[in-house]
Amino acid sequence: MLAAVLAGSAVAAAASPADTIAARQANFKKMGAAMKALKDELGGGADKAKLLAAARTLASTARLQGGLFPAGTGPSSGVKTDALPAIWAQKPAFDAAAAKLVTEADKLAGIAGSGNTAAVLAQFKAVGGTCAACHKQFRAED
Amino acid sequence: MSSKDETVKVWDPFVRVFHWSLITLFGIAWWSGEDHDMERHRQAGYAIFALVVFRLFWGFAGSRTARFAQFLKGPGEILAYLKTHDGETPSDGHNPLGGWSVAGLLAVILFVTLAGLFAVDVDGIESGPLADWVSFDTGRMASEWHETVFKAALAVIGLHVLAIGYYQVLNAQDLIGPMITGKRDRVKGEAAEDVKWSPVMALAGIAGVGALTWAVMQGFRFLG
Repeated sequence: MLAAVLAGSAVAAAASPADTIAARQANFKKMGAAMKALKDELGGGADKAKLLAAARTLASTARLQGGLFPAGTGPSSGVKTDALPAIWAQKPAFDAAAAKLVTEADKLAGIAGSGNTAAVLAQFKAVGGTCAACHKQFRAED
Repeated sequence: MSSKDETVKVWDPFVRVFHWSLITLFGIAWWSGEDHDMERHRQAGYAIFALVVFRLFWGFAGSRTARFAQFLKGPGEILAYLKTHDGETPSDGHNPLGGWSVAGLLAVILFVTLAGLFAVDVDGIESGPLADWVSFDTGRMASEWHETVFKAALAVIGLHVLAIGYYQVLNAQDLIGPMITGKRDRVKGEAAEDVKWSPVMALAGIAGVGALTWAVMQGFRFLG
């Protein structure tokens, strides 16, 4: 976990804005795919191993993201990004939203393999709520 | 019936109900999509899917003016129509240009609907009923197409409305009334017959489309 945080910070510190943006976008896609995998399982087979694997991917990827928004990686960098300037204008709120995602994703990873589908579904929705809330405030509409 | 009647029935009830429900549902789908009310958006999408598939079926099994074979004309007939039409003489159903406009409208709306069935939103939370069968990346691509072709659909709809306006206002040819009542005034000496349709075909179409739409709503999960 600590290594992951450090890896995230190291990328942010050393990389160009384009690399940082590419890294966080790849992570978001990975999380989106994990969310879809969770949703597919919850709507179908509810395979415990698959739910757990997806939830772990989600939780481990989520904790990299907070460090991948250093100053200078917004739209003003000239790189195509849906990240809104509000991220840096309201950094404490953004950091809190990123931390909330990690908290909720950890909770999900904690119960994903339990076999309690109703609880997993409820926590999946809680995680989804953090995605939506943060995107509404800090991400440009498609 | 006979050519002595004052009016002639040009659109069967299925064509008319299809037309006005599609407009309503397209509006609901548009609004709910903008509003991120995805549950309603999906419901509207299922209804649009059912309507369009029924209309395709009706294009082979429906009344005279509903059939593709009657209104999809080759370039020769389109050119002849453009040269000779006075804007006031009504066609029997879609005119040679309008027919292709209908085909274009059906194609873009069907494409938008099919893409929507596989679409996945950016969070991987909301998705169409068939998204289980594709990867996240494919679902995202479907979502992009869903949106891009929706814009194309708006353009084709705009063209359709302008064309109606051209006949309605500049040529005093009422196209909207007949799409509501099914009837238009008979031109003197015109021999066109009232459109007829088969209740058996209609029932078969409704049953088939209903079953297919139900299966789509279940995401065909009963197969796997």
